[in-house]
Amino acid sequence: MTGGDHQLEERICEAAVRCIARTGLRRTTLDDVALEAGCSRASIYRVFPGGKDRLWVAALEREVAALEQRVATALADADGLAETLTAAIVETARALAGHDALRHLLEHEPGVVLPHLSFDGLGPVLERAVAFLAPWLECHLDPRSAAEAAEWVARLIVLYGADAHAPYDLTDPGDVRRLVATHLIPGLVPRHEVARHEQEHVNVLD
Amino acid sequence: MVSPSQVTPSDVRERLLRATLACVERWGLTKTSVEDIAREAGCSRATVYRHFPGGREELVRATVEWEVDRFFRRIEARIAEQPDLASKLRVGLVFGHRAIREHELLQRVLRTEPDALLEELSQVVPTIEQLMRTYLLALLRAERLQLGIDVAAAADYLMRLFLSYLGSPGRWDLTDDAEVDRLVRTQFLAGIISG
Repeated sequence: MTGGDHQLEERICEAAVRCIARTGLRRTTLDDVALEAGCSRASIYRVFPGGKDRLWVAALEREVAALEQRVATALADADGLAETLTAAIVETARALAGHDALRHLLEHEPGVVLPHLSFDGLGPVLERAVAFLAPWLECHLDPRSAAEAAEWVARLIVLYGADAHAPYDLTDPGDVRRLVATHLIPGLVPRHEVARHEQEHVNVLD
Repeated sequence: MVSPSQVTPSDVRERLLRATLACVERWGLTKTSVEDIAREAGCSRATVYRHFPGGREELVRATVEWEVDRFFRRIEARIAEQPDLASKLRVGLVFGHRAIREHELLQRVLRTEPDALLEELSQVVPTIEQLMRTYLLALLRAERLQLGIDVAAAADYLMRLFLSYLGSPGRWDLTDDAEVDRLVRTQFLAGIISG
């Protein structure tokens, strides 16, 4: 693929996400995307020979990579286990809450999203989260605990993030600090070390 | 023999729900029609509409609700004998997870019509969630809790985590009792129960 094609691919993916945010997945056509991207249908087929399905997969992959990039930036500034967990949850929850295309789908076409958030469909999502987050936790936990903690965090984001009536607002650092201190730290570190982690957790993320 | 006068409305209702389940098994969730259900139940379409004025949509919703309710009653009966919260969660996870795996109709519809089924389930689940919160709240009040714990938030937390693991075990092997025990002691209860 040439550099020009790569730029075109980016432009088409961005256009596809904007179209989904506006009209949803089912009603978005390749013509809509072409118009939004300012290119021809033929160009889309050249970059995505599989058409719509290939385009959706590429656009989703791009959104996930952007999310990981954003969270990585937040994690680079986090110190200690509790702060790292809190930063991962808050930053992800904020990114997802501000994602117009995801919000549109959850509200109007839940059938598109739910298969990836429940039963066996959640598995790959959890694994992707583990692959991303576990390495950030390995300076605080052994590798198995780091992987389990990463999966736990991803689960909590799915469980609380999509529910406006949940007792914890995951976009709120105070709420998340409470969630982390109440459940995650006691579940991850031996009891006699909990006090130290709670101490580290003061003055974080305000 | 039962004479027609002895057939109560709830019998007919249950017969229609069973007939819907049988039709979904044969035709799928979206293709099942009121006609199919009436034929399976051995009654007229008018009878179907008398009990379910909303027709197909209402029947499918009621059937999913009925089946989900039966599923959770089976879990509840299974854990009733367990002495404390930790063992109820442990047995509930192992039994519930296996029941989901072995529920052939559920597994099939999840493969063939996941979007339709999950939209139906998402309508039904809030009721189950509320029942579970109440159930867990009563259990938590019988336990020695960590200082300063918010009991309502803790019940809500346990409910969410339990449902999540039931359907999606992720990296955890829920057929292994020792692993489930470790999961319950860490992620479920470490922050809640004092010990």
